[in-house]
Amino acid sequence: MVRKISSLGLSLQFLACLAALVLASIFVRNEYALRLLVISLYFGCQAMTFDFTGGYINAVNFGFAAFAGLGAYAAALVAIHTGLGAWAGLLVGALVTGFVGFFTGILTLPLRGIYVSLMSWFVGMTLMALATAMEAVTRGARGLIVPPIFKDATTTAYLYILISMFLVVYIILNLIIRSPIGLAFRAIGQNYDTAQASGVNPTRYKLLNFTISSACAGLFGGFYAHYVGIVTPVVMNMGYTLEIMALSFIGGSGSLVGGVFAAFLLIPMFDSLKSLMEYRLILYGMLLILVMIFYPAGLAGLYQKVSRKIFPKKGKS
Amino acid sequence: MDPETAANLLLTGMLRGGLYVLMAVGLALVFGVMNICHFAHGEYYVLGAYAAYFAFVTYSLNPIVSIIVAALFSFMAGVLTDKLLFYPLRKRSKGDWIINAFLLTAGLSVVLQNVFRLAFGMRYRGITAYWDAAIKILGITVSADRVIAFFIALLAIAAMWIFLQKTNTGRAIRGVSQDEQGALLVGINLDSIHTLTFALGSMLAGLGGASLLSLSPAYPFGGNKPLIASWFVVTIAGLGNVQGAIIGGFIVGLFESFSYYFLGQGWQEVASLSLLILLLLFKPTGLFGTQIKSVWER
Repeated sequence: MVRKISSLGLSLQFLACLAALVLASIFVRNEYALRLLVISLYFGCQAMTFDFTGGYINAVNFGFAAFAGLGAYAAALVAIHTGLGAWAGLLVGALVTGFVGFFTGILTLPLRGIYVSLMSWFVGMTLMALATAMEAVTRGARGLIVPPIFKDATTTAYLYILISMFLVVYIILNLIIRSPIGLAFRAIGQNYDTAQASGVNPTRYKLLNFTISSACAGLFGGFYAHYVGIVTPVVMNMGYTLEIMALSFIGGSGSLVGGVFAAFLLIPMFDSLKSLMEYRLILYGMLLILVMIFYPAGLAGLYQKVSRKIFPKKGKS
Repeated sequence: MDPETAANLLLTGMLRGGLYVLMAVGLALVFGVMNICHFAHGEYYVLGAYAAYFAFVTYSLNPIVSIIVAALFSFMAGVLTDKLLFYPLRKRSKGDWIINAFLLTAGLSVVLQNVFRLAFGMRYRGITAYWDAAIKILGITVSADRVIAFFIALLAIAAMWIFLQKTNTGRAIRGVSQDEQGALLVGINLDSIHTLTFALGSMLAGLGGASLLSLSPAYPFGGNKPLIASWFVVTIAGLGNVQGAIIGGFIVGLFESFSYYFLGQGWQEVASLSLLILLLLFKPTGLFGTQIKSVWER
């Protein structure tokens, strides 16, 4: 039983953190604190999704925010123009973004390394330019007003929804990572040519990875649209990509949950120190720079190192 | 389209292209020699603009002197950046250099933009003109600033070209871009070449920002547009290809001014991005191809 649960990636420590989060959502009645929890978890989820591509097949999706924004727009349009309801909107958002992710994957097929980032950057900028230019559909820079996810949805309700979405997506991503598919991802990420030589079909796995991570980004993006209540082309801005990227790398690339922990550590910290608000992005950037230079393994690497010191026998490798 | 509009578009495109060349040559140089996909290049453009603004307005220096001061300022900033950030990264990096350096510049871009915001506020700091005059070309009146900025760009690129081709230091830079190990073997000091290259790249960007101050005022986030445009240019030319960047700059400038006329602002962006995606898809090495293989091998 224990082994079965841990094969889903639900280690004891992870479950403890999750329980703490659920308890917090039950007992915290402070609106500000609740909103902070939602935003931290949202960015954590996006950082996790980002890491699924960046940390495993080693392709930095530089248009990431645009994919999340696409999901937000799709969900918003479904909620506004059809009677299908918010849940269908989230699904449509995930499907549309997954499709565009698949398409982007095809575009990046002949490319490697930094060229993949460039291509996804250009695709992201195209999406943002389209969202701004197609005024008939998206109302351009004025943005779309999105109804709440259901009538009278409270912040606590949003937090529960996001926690369950996070859990489902985490378990799915983790199952993929632990399956042979995940092994293939890591092989491609570490050495493309060697992976190909040992019989891994990079095309298939690259497309699969891009599709899944984009679909998840779109899913969370749809949630964000309902939560914030307005979608403008600004949600596709580079700034958000950089923020998510910073969280994912500070958390430790190739760890999935590292970014979530980084989000819960950094976002409330920057937000609660009001005097630091001005310096927030400066701190983000500096942290990213420092992590890149001095500790590329990030928080996850630090955690592994510490836990190996405390429980030397349990360390696997 | 009547001939006057065509001439007008042609002229605007060429003048705009001159700036793109300036920015893109710096970007191509930094990539070709140091293998850095420089994402904070626009911030040195803004730095140059600020330096020129303060030199010209606050200290009321001569325009040319202000522009030179701005260029020196961005050069020094480039030296500092390399010594403080890229040098330690080079010493510690184990194989993932390209992606790590790229992420570092992304962080640097965020830091610099917000430092500018903190230091100078969200205000636009611009001037009406360095030289209060107008010049008539092809029957169209253009402000003297634009024409002089264009010639400053041409001059800087020519000087750069001569420096790279004729001086020993320039040859060393080209040597490092071709083969780092080989350059090390013949006794080239890699660290100082890297610092110099980064400083020169930053200087070209700062020069662009300074000479165009009357057209695009200094603003904390003013570097985004030139950055994206210069990335277009280097993508078209092939990453790290300095000669290609010169032609590519004019291509992008002309394409922008004509597509802007035919499509309007919003769709013009979509059109140029789509073309770029197609180019990257079918000819990732750029229009002119490049001998630099380093990116492909890693």
